Amino acid sequence: MFPIIAKEELGPSVFRLRVRAPLIAAKAQPGQFLIVVLDEKGERVPFTLSDWDAEGGTVDFVFLVVGPTTEKMARLQVGDTIAHCVGPLGRPSHVDTFGHVVCLVSGYGIAAMVPVLRALKGKDNQITTIVQAPDKKRLFGLEALKEWSDKVLVATSDNGNGKGPLASDQLRHLLAEHPNQPIHRVVAMCSLCLMWVVTELTRPLRIPTFLHMTPIMVDGTGMCGACRLQVEGTNRFACVHGPEFDGHKIGSWDVLLARRCSYADENVLQQSYSCRTCSQW
Amino acid sequence: MSGSEKPQERAKSKKKVNLNRVPMPKQEPEERIHNFNEVARGYTFEMAVEEARRCLNCKKRNCERGCPVSIDIPEFIAAIQKGDLEVAASVLKRKTSLPGICGRVCPQEVQCEKACTLSKKKAPVAIGRLERYVADWERLHNMTTIPERGAPTGKRVAVVGSGPAGLTVAADLAILGHEVTMFEALHVAGGVLAYGIPEFRLPKEIVQQEVEYVKNLGVELLPDTVIGINFSIDELLNTRYDALFLGTGAGLPMFLGVPGEDLNMVYSANEFLTRTNLMKAYLYPEYATPIKMGRKVTVIGGGNVAMDAARCAVRLGADSVTVVYRRSRQEMPARLEEIENAEEEGIVFFFLATPIAMLSDGRANVAALECIRMALTEPDESGRRRPVPIEGSEFIIETDTVIVSLGTSPNPLIASTTPDLKTSRWGTVVVDEKGRTSKARVWAGGDIISGGATVISAMGEARRAASAMHEYLTSGSKKIIPPSA
Ligand SMILES: Cc1cc2nc3c(=O)[nH]c(=O)nc-3n(C[C@H](O)[C@H](O)[C@H](O)COP(=O)(O)OP(=O)(O)OC[C@H]3O[C@@H](n4cnc5c(N)ncnc54)[C@H](O)[C@@H]3O)c2cc1C
Ligand SMILES: Cc1cc2nc3c(=O)[nH]c(=O)nc-3n(C[C@H](O)[C@H](O)[C@H](O)COP(=O)(O)OP(=O)(O)OC[C@H]3O[C@@H](n4cnc5c(N)ncnc54)[C@H](O)[C@@H]3O)c2cc1C
Ligand code: FES
Repeated sequence: MFPIIAKEELGPSVFRLRVRAPLIAAKAQPGQFLIVVLDEKGERVPFTLSDWDAEGGTVDFVFLVVGPTTEKMARLQVGDTIAHCVGPLGRPSHVDTFGHVVCLVSGYGIAAMVPVLRALKGKDNQITTIVQAPDKKRLFGLEALKEWSDKVLVATSDNGNGKGPLASDQLRHLLAEHPNQPIHRVVAMCSLCLMWVVTELTRPLRIPTFLHMTPIMVDGTGMCGACRLQVEGTNRFACVHGPEFDGHKIGSWDVLLARRCSYADENVLQQSYSCRTCSQW
Repeated sequence: MSGSEKPQERAKSKKKVNLNRVPMPKQEPEERIHNFNEVARGYTFEMAVEEARRCLNCKKRNCERGCPVSIDIPEFIAAIQKGDLEVAASVLKRKTSLPGICGRVCPQEVQCEKACTLSKKKAPVAIGRLERYVADWERLHNMTTIPERGAPTGKRVAVVGSGPAGLTVAADLAILGHEVTMFEALHVAGGVLAYGIPEFRLPKEIVQQEVEYVKNLGVELLPDTVIGINFSIDELLNTRYDALFLGTGAGLPMFLGVPGEDLNMVYSANEFLTRTNLMKAYLYPEYATPIKMGRKVTVIGGGNVAMDAARCAVRLGADSVTVVYRRSRQEMPARLEEIENAEEEGIVFFFLATPIAMLSDGRANVAALECIRMALTEPDESGRRRPVPIEGSEFIIETDTVIVSLGTSPNPLIASTTPDLKTSRWGTVVVDEKGRTSKARVWAGGDIISGGATVISAMGEARRAASAMHEYLTSGSKKIIPPSA
């Protein structure tokens, strides 16, 4: 049993939980995730570690309420327990001294990216973070992003005049300055469609672009193949070979989008990928 | 017993032998395709005794030799003949700790029953059904006894994986007085018995009872713990454990590698079965995990896994289920009984064909399989007939759900985090004739050394490793490495 030590509401339908899970905390690295099973009849659902305390034996994650499990989770209180937690799963995010790194985040990525930013900062990178949110009300965790970034660009729809820029617009501006103000690496932990757009924007410039791919998972240990995606034409499992992948090597975006359409950002969607035509859960 | 009585008795029994076995009572196909309850209901006491009486108690004991763990088959059957089920159970328990499971899932037709003397004339004694009967009797009458544990040896053993191999080693070593911890990556113990083999073939209650039995022997079970992530093998050996057993199975699903295989609604059998059996998607929404399946399901493969996937699909409400296998029925590796059950349940078999592509419906869902017909070559040196494609014989099968069931290989996680563990090019862990690996103090057994075999072979290998481990742990020659300061 994994007791809940702390709970915080970060915004509408966004929560942070701190859970006692010493085995996970002891080995956690930036970009890794855990799998949670709320009770013996529960689903196995993955969440990215947003913080941990190896000595205190606790891990944090931030989640958006999107469906039955996360709704149930939102009702849990400090002192309640979670039946199962397993992790840290997946490979850590690759961190080195790259130079200028542009990070794109949205949704839970806003919190889940923080350990990666911290590690990148620890390696003396210059960091520009672009954060996208539907509106100011649903923008959370800005302070942590600011703490570990040299510059934070906010993309919300109510930036002053009611129709603000998108994260992809912000990135376009930065790319226009490249190579005068070179970008050495792009890391994205945001909606799938935005990650696709980012990949296509950086591809012609050959800027290494790394994405946190989160296809639907079941076991999270490489046993079921639910999380497979095409990387350079071969099958890779996001739970063991990822979740971080070289975006320019990922294929079959249409299939990935159809499988996980719920986070679709209408603004960057192409007509044929509209969620209304997608039959996947 | 006088010498004059014996031949007479034999003559009597010879005359009485029924060449047909007592049929297994089963749920009727039209009924069972709507539920996940066990198909085979099991013998009654009368049926079991009647079937046991078919045994000639012949001197050859071929059946025993056909059994991978050498159960004293004639003896336990003789006990059933006398109606002494307690004795029958104790004879079984001498060699197997999982009779309720083996009786249900062993491929008896290629093991003990194949060797049965009667099989030359007609139907062999239904050894598996009798084994199951005795195990169920013991369980239902709460007769399961916890064997006495040997005096504590002060030695600690780590068992990695809680499938049949891990459960066997853990039980054996606990009984011998060692302190055993069993690590399991998933949230439920049992390995394939829990996540792969469906409820209608092996009720999960039976599996969990076996797990409880092992826990009652004093074995500590740690679920949600992945070795290679939470602890490396070296960490376990250096900090706490004197010896370690690897029973992590072969859980990595193989795919065909044909175009379109990443389309939606294309499942690996592992995902389909895990959702259905481990996560109980057939009880959704009481259980939170859903499973999405269309109406026309196609399963690719011919083994137990393919049969299980196809039969789950029937029960989940598919309109039609087709199995595509590249060889013919004769070569199918699945248990005969399950092939027959599948046929009764209306599953259609497409032999001598294999998919070469999966086609999209335009919205990234699979809509059809492009297949090619195969022909079998003349038997090669090994006697095996290879399937080869017949050029120009391509054809289309319309489908909205595909379940790829080609087999599995060991998960590379342990090997990749244990550089001094020797593996073969198929990823299996290399062991000697006692189950010892190339790494000191580490033994292995089950699918991780075979690449995928049977429950009983996993148990046999585990048993062999357990006795070697016990010998090592009690030989006194070993040095205990003190916990690092
Ligand atoms: C490696 C990994 C890390 C993740 N990290 C986080 C995290 O830190 N915080 C967080 O809030 N969520 C995270 N997710 C997504 C999270 O697992 C899903 O939101 C969750 O499973 C939804 O469960 P549910 O029962 O509440 O909703 P469901 O009913 O299962 O789903 C509701 C909606 O969410 C979508 N969804 C389902 N699974 C996923 C998925 N894997 N990724 C994205 N969308 C999904 C569905 O399409 C559906 O529209 C992560 C997913 C993966 C694979
Ligand atoms: C669908 C299906 C049907 C089958 N039907 C039959 C049948 O009818 N008859 C028959 O005899 N055989 C059958 N088999 C084969 C049989 O189930 C296997 O041969 C047997 O289960 C192997 O046992 P094992 O203990 O070696 O491995 P497994 O049963 O695979 O157990 C391994 C366990 O180790 C755990 N594990 C893996 N990696 C780690 C790690 N790093 N850390 C911690 N734990 C880990 C896994 O989660 C798993 O629980 C079937 C197999 C399948 C998949
Ligand atoms: S989630 Fe099952 S293989 Fe990745």
